[in-house]
Amino acid sequence: MKVFPDDLLYSREHVWVRVEGDLATIGITDLAQEKLGEVHSVELPEIDSEVERDEPFGAIEAAKGTVELISPLTGNVINVNEDLIDDIGIVNSDPHDTGWMIVVEINDLDELDDLLDSRGYHDFILQEVEGE
Amino acid sequence: MAIDEAIFREVQRTGGPPTIRLYGWLSPAVSIGYFQHIDWEIDLPACRKGGVTVVRRPTGGKAVYHDDDLTYAVIARENSSLFPPTILETYRVISQCLVQGLHRLGLEAILTAAGREPGEGSLAASCFSAPSLYELLVKGRKICGSAQMRSRGVFLQQGSLLLSFDPEKTCDLTLPHREPRAGQVQALQGKVTSLYEHLPRSVTREDVCKSLVEAFQTGWEVSLAEGSLTPEEETLKDRLLETKYSDLAKED
Repeated sequence: MKVFPDDLLYSREHVWVRVEGDLATIGITDLAQEKLGEVHSVELPEIDSEVERDEPFGAIEAAKGTVELISPLTGNVINVNEDLIDDIGIVNSDPHDTGWMIVVEINDLDELDDLLDSRGYHDFILQEVEGE
Repeated sequence: MAIDEAIFREVQRTGGPPTIRLYGWLSPAVSIGYFQHIDWEIDLPACRKGGVTVVRRPTGGKAVYHDDDLTYAVIARENSSLFPPTILETYRVISQCLVQGLHRLGLEAILTAAGREPGEGSLAASCFSAPSLYELLVKGRKICGSAQMRSRGVFLQQGSLLLSFDPEKTCDLTLPHREPRAGQVQALQGKVTSLYEHLPRSVTREDVCKSLVEAFQTGWEVSLAEGSLTPEEETLKDRLLETKYSDLAKED
């Protein structure tokens, strides 16, 4: 059974969010990386660009296919994980920590209310499996 | 490409029905994968010189030279009862229908059981240079390449079924020229096949389409209805053509 850290919030698009003040660090969940298989490339937005909640902010190409990354929040990108350029494998090996993707300055903190805590995400995954 | 994405986005927005498109190209074209670097992985000057259109696919994978091929797109919600939930199993289900469609034409294809390893040399830039999991082989050579993308609960799978194959053009347009050309052409010939290598030219493109449609209907136990783009899809297609799918070979 996968462990989803309690200090993160989760979207239904399998993206996690770590909130520190009005900054949100964003990455994909361990479940998402497992579904995708070996990640080959990641396309991320540039620093100072805007991301919009529920809209794509990038894409991942992995062994099993390509997926768009759906932003859980609206805001301004203030940092992008450049370590991914040298070692894309950390998205698979450490998705919840060093495999982070972008940091966003959150426009509206109320958007966090729509995200799930670790228990809620866990329940959501189970519902998805049952729905399949 | 713009039509495929327009349908895909509208299914995301409205939850419309699963869609299969079978189409050809108005003129020879190269489609490159979403993540491919246009200057590194295709020969853009050669495409320009030959009047070959270049477009970027919304799906990943390698470069494909489209001339005498039949391109397909399947678009559906991930939770559609017709498809398993995982990416690989969706590949398998769609590929099985393609196998049955070819079987109806008298061509025996099998699904690959093992995937391609990343970074396997200069041939790796071309989609047809190596089979991925659940792609179609005829007598050990690849006849159809496919790629899939997913977003917001919907998948789009695109693929190219080769009716005939031109290894020299494929080599000249879609492979980095790191090795002697003759060797690359020969290697492609050994790895890739096409429908007309095995079936007579009396089998038309329409025959292939009809056979695939029948196979999809039988395989999925559905009755397919011909459709046209909705006004929303038309509008989106026009916008995407302008903003995303213009010819990358055209110089500013």
